[in-house]
Amino acid sequence: MMLRLKAKALDFYTYPPIGGDDWRYGYAAARVRALQTQMIPKSTLVDMANAGTFEQAAESISTTEYIPVASKTLAELEQVLIAQRRSLREQFARLMIDNSIVKLFKTRDDFANMRLAVRRRVTDKAIGTDYSSQGNLNPEIFEEVFEQEKYELLGEHIQNAVEQAILAYYTDRDICRIDHIIDRAQAEYNIQTALKMKSEFLTGLFSIKIDLTNIITMLRLKFTESEKRKVFLPGGYIEIERLKQAVDTEYDSIGQLFYATPYYRIVSVGANYVGTEKSFLKAEQASENHLSGYLNTTSQITSGPQPVIAYLLQKEKEIRTVRLILTAKKNLLDKKMILDRIGE
Amino acid sequence: MAANVNATRMELLRLRKRVALASRGHRLLSDKRDEISRQLVQIAKLIQPLRKTVEQKLLETCRRFMLARASMEPEDNKSSLEIPTKKFSLAVKFSTIMNVTVPQLTKEMEGQIICYGFATTSGELDVALLSLEQAFDSLIELAEKEKQAYLLATELQMTRRRVNVLEHIVIPELKQSIRYIFDKLAEAERDNISRLMKITDIIRG
Repeated sequence: MMLRLKAKALDFYTYPPIGGDDWRYGYAAARVRALQTQMIPKSTLVDMANAGTFEQAAESISTTEYIPVASKTLAELEQVLIAQRRSLREQFARLMIDNSIVKLFKTRDDFANMRLAVRRRVTDKAIGTDYSSQGNLNPEIFEEVFEQEKYELLGEHIQNAVEQAILAYYTDRDICRIDHIIDRAQAEYNIQTALKMKSEFLTGLFSIKIDLTNIITMLRLKFTESEKRKVFLPGGYIEIERLKQAVDTEYDSIGQLFYATPYYRIVSVGANYVGTEKSFLKAEQASENHLSGYLNTTSQITSGPQPVIAYLLQKEKEIRTVRLILTAKKNLLDKKMILDRIGE
Repeated sequence: MAANVNATRMELLRLRKRVALASRGHRLLSDKRDEISRQLVQIAKLIQPLRKTVEQKLLETCRRFMLARASMEPEDNKSSLEIPTKKFSLAVKFSTIMNVTVPQLTKEMEGQIICYGFATTSGELDVALLSLEQAFDSLIELAEKEKQAYLLATELQMTRRRVNVLEHIVIPELKQSIRYIFDKLAEAERDNISRLMKITDIIRG
């Protein structure tokens, strides 16, 4: 792991390699290719953003798998989208032959649940059971785990993260430290598991995600004039020193620091937008586009887990985009703001 | 009122004193009314741009928050905002404007408004929360001014009623009673004189 974290030489131009074919995934890859044709095209999303009202925006996707949502409230809309995401994840679990990959993606919910549970634990609030049920851990055991401090029931990786997070909180009583420790543990766990599976694609995917998170974090630290520097995640392609240096650089010059990396455009466009518009819409949109670009390269794979994972992530992004546009339309937000966020 | 009044010289003197007092009160209350009006106009002039600023800032905060909320996963939304770290307390002092007790608000804030990690949250959430933090100063000033305006307006309405009552009811009625007593006393005087003249005529006859 340490070797992986120290090796920073980039041996690719824009996207890291995605690995080879795995012929066990012939059916899954073909199924995903068929499902990808049913995804909402970019032009429809732009039409939704340009629609005059919420009803018109909802009407644009009424022919897709999203049920007509024109008459629904935001809370009902949220439930529809959560149900959509749940069925997507179930479909992903059915299509994946390697259960370890399903488990790996389910840990996202475990770590999210832990952020909430640890916060409640250290602030002496009731642990409760209102957590995401789509993780590997059953939320009903959380009360027992935290009240009796039986952290071993959570599994080794989460146990370590929780113990470190609690310790970090009591060191300086800063609630943000819980999230930073759990974020770091999650990033390390993802990279470690991907390396253990010897999956070139997953290693590349998580490294890109870490880099993109670090870049946005760098812009956020600069925008909020925060003094925190230990919040960058390890395991990306970009050196953390470069990110720390970028925090203390002017917005106009930040892009130059990343000139030799695949993220030059994201950083320069994002930093300029933050500097002029005081908003992260462009930076977030550019980083999502970069990740989508990497996921799109899985189309070169005839058969393998890569297209299935790519479909899961692209579909989750689509659900978030639909939520974003409909929420924006329901609240009469500016069209330009939506288009800036979805990238048109 | 005139019908119930005792037409005596004592009552006449008492009513004259009351008219003088009511006139003095009327003059003082008129001055108070004018001053409160002036203060109210000044505060209203301050409130108008302040309210626009606050509404704009809060609208911006809501917009950013909506965008952040929509672009984040629901479970991340929940965990990031459930335990706030910013503590906010409001101290209220009182001062007087034209004998009206008005509040003066001062805020005390401690802790960071950003209470979450960066990996699973949107940057727009930072923008929304910082915008909300900045809006607090204007929001508290607006609350203070609006409360002052409300209290002054209530006092103005009450003072205006008092002035109107004195001007249109109390003083005219007192003057009417004085005139009535004066007339009654004058009539009694004339009656007395004529009676005396009649007695004189009888004695001389």
